[in-house]
Amino acid sequence: MTATTAPEAALGVLPRSDGSAKYSHAGYTVTASVNGPIEAQRRDEHAYEAHVDVVVRPAAGVGGTRERHLESLLQSSLSQLILVKNFPRSLIQIVLQVEDSPENDYVNTKLVQASLNLAIMPALVQTAVLALLSAGVPMRATATATAIAIARQDGAQRIIVDPSPREIETGRSVHVLAFTSHGGLLLAESEGDFTVREWDEVYETARAICCRSAPAKDGMAMLLDDEATGGPDMRHFLRSTMESKVVADLHWK
Amino acid sequence: MTAPTVKLPAPLFAKLSPHPFLLRNLTSTSASDGHGDRPPARRTNGRGTQETRPLLTKPSSLSHAHGSSLVRLGDTTVLCGVRGELLPVERIPQFRPLSRTRDSEGDGEGEEEEGGSVIGRGELRDYDLLVPNIELATGSAPQFLPGVPPTTLAQTLSTRVYSLLHSTGLVRATDLRVWSTAGEGNGKKNKEDVEMGEAEQGEGYREMEEEDRVVAYWVLYIDLLFVSFDGNPFDAAWAAVVAALRDTRLPVARWDPERETVVCSRTERKELNVSGLPVACTAAVFEEKDLSEVGTGVAEGRHWLLLDPDRLEESLCRETITMVVDCSDGETKIKSIEKQGGTTIGRELIRGFAGIAEKRWKEVKDATK
Repeated sequence: MTATTAPEAALGVLPRSDGSAKYSHAGYTVTASVNGPIEAQRRDEHAYEAHVDVVVRPAAGVGGTRERHLESLLQSSLSQLILVKNFPRSLIQIVLQVEDSPENDYVNTKLVQASLNLAIMPALVQTAVLALLSAGVPMRATATATAIAIARQDGAQRIIVDPSPREIETGRSVHVLAFTSHGGLLLAESEGDFTVREWDEVYETARAICCRSAPAKDGMAMLLDDEATGGPDMRHFLRSTMESKVVADLHWK
Repeated sequence: MTAPTVKLPAPLFAKLSPHPFLLRNLTSTSASDGHGDRPPARRTNGRGTQETRPLLTKPSSLSHAHGSSLVRLGDTTVLCGVRGELLPVERIPQFRPLSRTRDSEGDGEGEEEEGGSVIGRGELRDYDLLVPNIELATGSAPQFLPGVPPTTLAQTLSTRVYSLLHSTGLVRATDLRVWSTAGEGNGKKNKEDVEMGEAEQGEGYREMEEEDRVVAYWVLYIDLLFVSFDGNPFDAAWAAVVAALRDTRLPVARWDPERETVVCSRTERKELNVSGLPVACTAAVFEEKDLSEVGTGVAEGRHWLLLDPDRLEESLCRETITMVVDCSDGETKIKSIEKQGGTTIGRELIRGFAGIAEKRWKEVKDATK
């Protein structure tokens, strides 16, 4: 099961860029590089703020309309996080290379797919945030994201965290939610067939995964016991990844 | 003596500093009277914050397309044309042969419904039977320059339309299949033909008929052209797609065993079985403070949810929400939520927005019928 595997990340994997990160979780592996603030092209230049440029490259083939959509979603979310007003007339470029994505054995794989793949969003958001942290780009908050699917099995509703492509195909709806470290809902993308109540449940689950802060874990371990099994603690993961990187970097002291 | 004030005409004010212009419009009425019951905020275009532009739909506006519609949403005008083209199965790479027996037809349908029409959707997706394409005409808005490749907006819109077409299951694969022997799905006349054939050829023919296979598919090319663009492109585009698909009448196609090709009837047309009426509803969040002070925690400062934003409002708002709902079964079903670009819209606002979208659905339903 992919859902039980813990996320893995490495920072500073690319020597030439300002910041980089490699992240893998739920079958997806993404490498990101961040360069910035650098000089912006004339057409991208904004008099009062930095231009955030996001490039998503698929695992195979060249990017199409689907990648443009992912880029525009990431761009609007990340420019909320980065303190863009601090760097007028400059550019912050984030390049995300998808290295691996889980395959659906039940369908023929096509190189060019126009249909939106929401399940890749959390990996892209997570990697971009890690790479931005690695590059030391000033941000007002970090963000964590998760994908959740609702499936109907034997007449009962079931919430699947980090669904596989097959589960997305057979499931009723799929949702991606991203939260900032202040607990604000940064991004909410859902498709399928669902009701407000189902979305509420998804929201609760996603919030438990994305916004569970580390200290609350020991105090409320019993209370959150059922949720703790529901998925990894993303915020804690982000923090521990950064901490271990800092420790490793300051090892010489 | 008051301080000298510079009087600017409204269009100049809007051009010079759009953000304060819209803010002044939204707050002026409440500031002027000062008592408890403030009149509702008005936008620069004279609408209330929750007021949408009327949707005008005109189906069958193109004579050469199989289905078409012209949708007007204020000054946003979209023309949508649907054209079917036959795709023989031998031209499909990695085609999985599909056959049916006459008796099991009913069962097959039932199974498809039960399994969330997984099989049908797989066909649509695998063989690319729905091809939406969006063009933002050069003259439709000043920001679209001539002679450039499709903009990010056009590409994003076409991805969204494509994904929604598949996730809503608006078109069913069963309508797009062409069978080797005419079946229930293929219209009355052919059915009669078959019955006659049966009568003449007897048992042997019946044996052959059991082996009924798909010989071709209809591919629907859904082309959208923005004639004029004044904000809220997705709602207009989606309304046009739904209206055009409801208007689509494909010629009745059948397999001609003698010529070994698929032939279409000149006169007979069959309409598509469009299930449901999903309606998109978009709003943008206008914030009192410009981005510099906006935090990413809980919402701070005043904000307005502007339903059906126009071009000026879209340029000033970063956060948008689009919800697609379908209430045709009596119960409100959400088909998609797309919220991006900010943190003002939280859980409560999304819940509340479902009610707004429901109201919009009723308006659109009245407009389409």
